[in-house]
Amino acid sequence: MAATKSQGSRFTLFMAGLTTLCAGIAFSDTGGGKSALVVGLVAVVASLWGFFKIKPLEGETGNGPQPAVMKLIGVAVVLGGWLFVLFGLHLTAGIGGRLFTSIVGFAVSLAGICFILAPAVNKNAIWKA
Amino acid sequence: MKTARYAIWTCALAILFMAGAATLARADAAASASAAELKDALAKAPSTSTLANGDPGGVITGTVNDVPVGDAKTGLTLGDVSNQVGQNKIAINFVWTLITGFLVMFMQAGFAMVEAGLCRVKNANHTYMMNFFVYTCGLFAYWIIGFAIQMGGAAGNGNLGGLQSLNTEHLITLFGTHWGIFGECGMFLARSTYDVGVMVIFLFEMVFMDTALTIVTGACAERWKFLAFAVSSVLMGAFTYPLYGNWAWGGGWLAQLGVNLGLGKGYCDFAGSGVVHAVGGLTALAVAMIVGPRIGKFNRDGSSNAIIGHDISAVLIGCFILAFGWFGFNPGSTLGASAAGNLRIGSIAVNTMLAGCTATLGALLYMWVFKGKPDASMSGNGILAGLVAITAPSGFVNTMGAAIIGFVAGVLVCFSCAFVENVLKVDDPVGAVSVHGTCGLWGVLSIGFFADGTSNYGGSWNGVTGSVTGLFYGDASQLVAQFVGCATLVGFVFTFSFVLNWILDITLGQRVSIETEVAGLDLPEMGQLGYPEFVFKPEPDFMVTAGKMAVA
Repeated sequence: MAATKSQGSRFTLFMAGLTTLCAGIAFSDTGGGKSALVVGLVAVVASLWGFFKIKPLEGETGNGPQPAVMKLIGVAVVLGGWLFVLFGLHLTAGIGGRLFTSIVGFAVSLAGICFILAPAVNKNAIWKA
Repeated sequence: MKTARYAIWTCALAILFMAGAATLARADAAASASAAELKDALAKAPSTSTLANGDPGGVITGTVNDVPVGDAKTGLTLGDVSNQVGQNKIAINFVWTLITGFLVMFMQAGFAMVEAGLCRVKNANHTYMMNFFVYTCGLFAYWIIGFAIQMGGAAGNGNLGGLQSLNTEHLITLFGTHWGIFGECGMFLARSTYDVGVMVIFLFEMVFMDTALTIVTGACAERWKFLAFAVSSVLMGAFTYPLYGNWAWGGGWLAQLGVNLGLGKGYCDFAGSGVVHAVGGLTALAVAMIVGPRIGKFNRDGSSNAIIGHDISAVLIGCFILAFGWFGFNPGSTLGASAAGNLRIGSIAVNTMLAGCTATLGALLYMWVFKGKPDASMSGNGILAGLVAITAPSGFVNTMGAAIIGFVAGVLVCFSCAFVENVLKVDDPVGAVSVHGTCGLWGVLSIGFFADGTSNYGGSWNGVTGSVTGLFYGDASQLVAQFVGCATLVGFVFTFSFVLNWILDITLGQRVSIETEVAGLDLPEMGQLGYPEFVFKPEPDFMVTAGKMAVA
């Protein structure tokens, strides 16, 4: 099973909900805007719930389950490298020191992608089956 | 004594009074002279009866009679003429920005042809449709909220009349300094942002945003569910791209690194190697990792199989369309062709085409020498790699720098494609991660090396006086700012995209079913084949075997 009317109706609800939500944010200083905010949020959540409900009907995919913990660790390392860069700018005022912390943090983020996330997403890849 | 002091004061006052009267008299005389000159010009202007005879040489069309008069009773004044000069400057810049924006919009066709050409015929409709519908998804999301997040606090651009209604940036205070995080004006282009200048910048920024979104469709082609692509693209156009775009171009904290921390001119990115291409390329990497490789791409021992695209002619023509559109991408980023250093548009255009040229050389020669053949698809990726890499530095470097940046990008993309496929084991049918992600990051860093300090866009950049200058021309601090930008792209943008699409995978599932993938996405997802009258050639044995095993 691929594209269906169920997908189409839920996507329509998602788009309508997101538009209403954004209208609510844009005009949040009015009564109508506040109502739109609530209606939009409910519609978006309802559409995501609708997607979740029809997902099992769409058949088995060619991708095995990816280990969540390993992915979370990878995400944390990637993010941590960036945060090290930001705080490194305030650890030292010298250009050399800032260049060093920026390069190290950048490298840590890249390492998180290459050595943690990439193996994690390939752990149960279809080509290993 | 008292009488003497009184006399001195009276004389001083009299002298002052006479000096003032003389100044006023001179001003009056000057004003009278100007008024006289204007009257003289009006008298000499061709009359209606003269114009009625026609003007084949164009020598009497466009005169003082065409300057609008503010007050009919007073007649034409110096103020009227000055106003018209200001209008002309803004009009020139509006037309330039809009025309170049139209060129960038046309790049969508180029991307569609390149991606579909590198995919199999059974997925052609689906791939073309993703590139077609991404325009709608992105534009709509950007209109309802994305533009406000990115440019809501970007007031102050003199080229487009000031954009003063984009005047609200959400700031945070850290370590005693203010940092811009996101804008708050411009949702639905309503209220005070219903403005002629805002419309121009909206169109220009929107087509850049859509370029970033379309990059992801290439990396995930041939197995990405159309529904998941649509939702993911809407969210990327609404949040992911605009957030980084604000930080770099909308008055946000990356651009403020120069003002706040003395790091060069802050993070610089003239036309978007980082903001557009690296954001697109790194998001493509994140989604490709979550979606997983195509069935048959890798063997059980981890070796990869080449899955050949169905139309190399579409790929190469698509590359030319993209190269043509890039003349809007880079030169258009001056946001004007009048004043404030904008006459550099010729240099920027030449830098762009030169980098594309040397990148093609780099990629083609690498493939010819080390792989034995001047590979067409990698040559196409080569020219794109060079164009991506020069996008950020195009406004700040000379032709020598542009040529080197392009050549390095052409060789780098070959190495990167091999790395992504053979080491990371990420399947990228079109090389989007390497072309846009890797070479986008290279383009951002190259400013920190090659910016030559000769550009002058109004005497400052990101609020710091002077010209953008890189390490090779004497400023190492600019390289630090560029590294911070790269770290933000990898550390924040990639993470944000990965988590967002991970949630979407849990909620609605990113990938099509095995049966759909093996059969081809055109019929199950789109309801129609891309080429319904073609007789399909059987797929290679390894694809047939892999497909059967997957279904079993």
